Amino acid sequence: MNDLWLILAVAAITYASRVAFLLRPRPVPGGLVGRFLDVFPLALFMAIATSGLGAPGGRIAATPGLAAAVGGVVGAIAFRRSLWGVLAVGGALFYLARWAL
Amino acid sequence: MLRDASFRRGLKDSALIFLAVGSFGLFYGVLAVDAGLSQTLTIVSSVVIVSGAAQFAMVGLLATGAAPVLIAATGLGLRHLPMSATLSRLIGPRHVFTRLRMAFILVDETFGLTVRAAAAGVTDLVAYKTAADLMLYSSWIIGTTVGVMLGSAIDPVAVGIDVLFGLLFLGLAAPFIRSRRDRVVAGTAIACTLIAIEVLPTAWQLTTAAGAASLIGTFLHE
Repeated sequence: MNDLWLILAVAAITYASRVAFLLRPRPVPGGLVGRFLDVFPLALFMAIATSGLGAPGGRIAATPGLAAAVGGVVGAIAFRRSLWGVLAVGGALFYLARWAL
Repeated sequence: MLRDASFRRGLKDSALIFLAVGSFGLFYGVLAVDAGLSQTLTIVSSVVIVSGAAQFAMVGLLATGAAPVLIAATGLGLRHLPMSATLSRLIGPRHVFTRLRMAFILVDETFGLTVRAAAAGVTDLVAYKTAADLMLYSSWIIGTTVGVMLGSAIDPVAVGIDVLFGLLFLGLAAPFIRSRRDRVVAGTAIACTLIAIEVLPTAWQLTTAAGAASLIGTFLHE
C-alpha cells in the first residue's frame, strides 16, 4: 500500500468512527470491548514513547533519551499533565544530558 | 454567520486553540517529513484526516508497514464513538449534511469546547462548533504547511527528533493516567514494549505491546 492510499485509509477509518453515532444513534460499546477501547490509546502512546525514548534506532540503550523520559515524567507531574510541561522539562534534560555526555 | 452570537462566541473561545493546534501542526509537519512522508502528502494527510493522535501514530508506525498503522488508526478512532454519541444528543435532530459536517472535525479540543458551551447555555451549538472547527482546521493546516517547509531545513539527528517524538507521545499519554488501572496499563505497556523490541519483528512491536497492555487493563478495575 503506498503512502497516499494509507493516508486515505486512515482518513476513512477516522471519519467512520466519528460519523457512526451522529448518523444513527446506537449504544456505545460497553463491557470488555468498551474497557479495552478505553485503555488502548494510553497503551499505544506509552509504547511509542518507550520506543522513542528507551530504544532510539530500534535497540535498547542507555542514551540521553532516558534523561528525557525522566524529565518528561517530572514535567507531567509538575505541570499537571500538560503536554508543553512534558516537552519543556523532558527536552531541557535531554539537551543537558547530551551536552554533559 | 458572523452575525450569529453563537458563531462569534465559538470563534472567541477557540482563539487559544488556534495557537496551540497550529504549534502541533508545525511539529507534525517537521516529524512527518523526517519520517519519509513527502511534503505534499504530509499536507494532504492534515487536510483529510484531521486527527493529531491518528496522524502522529501513522508517522510513528510508517516504517513498520500498513497493517500496524491501520490497526492503530482503528484503535484510536474507536475512542470517537462516545464523543459522537454525546454530540448527537447535544445537537438534536439535524439535517444529514449538518451531521456529516459535524463529524468531520470531531476532535478532543472542539468537542470539549462544545460540551462546555452546552453547559453554559449557548443556544446554537452547530454554529458554535462550526466556528471552533474552522479555527482548528485552518490552524492545523497552516501549522502543518509551515512545519513541512521547515522540516527539510532541519537536521533530525542534531535536533534529536526521535527523542522529541518519544516525549510528544509521553505528553499525549499523560492526561490518560488518572487511576491505578491507568498506571498499571502504562507500566505494562513500557515493559511489553521493551520485551517486544527484543523478541518481535519491528512491524509488530508497538501494536503487540499496546494490545497486550490494553488486554491486561481490560480485566482490571478502576
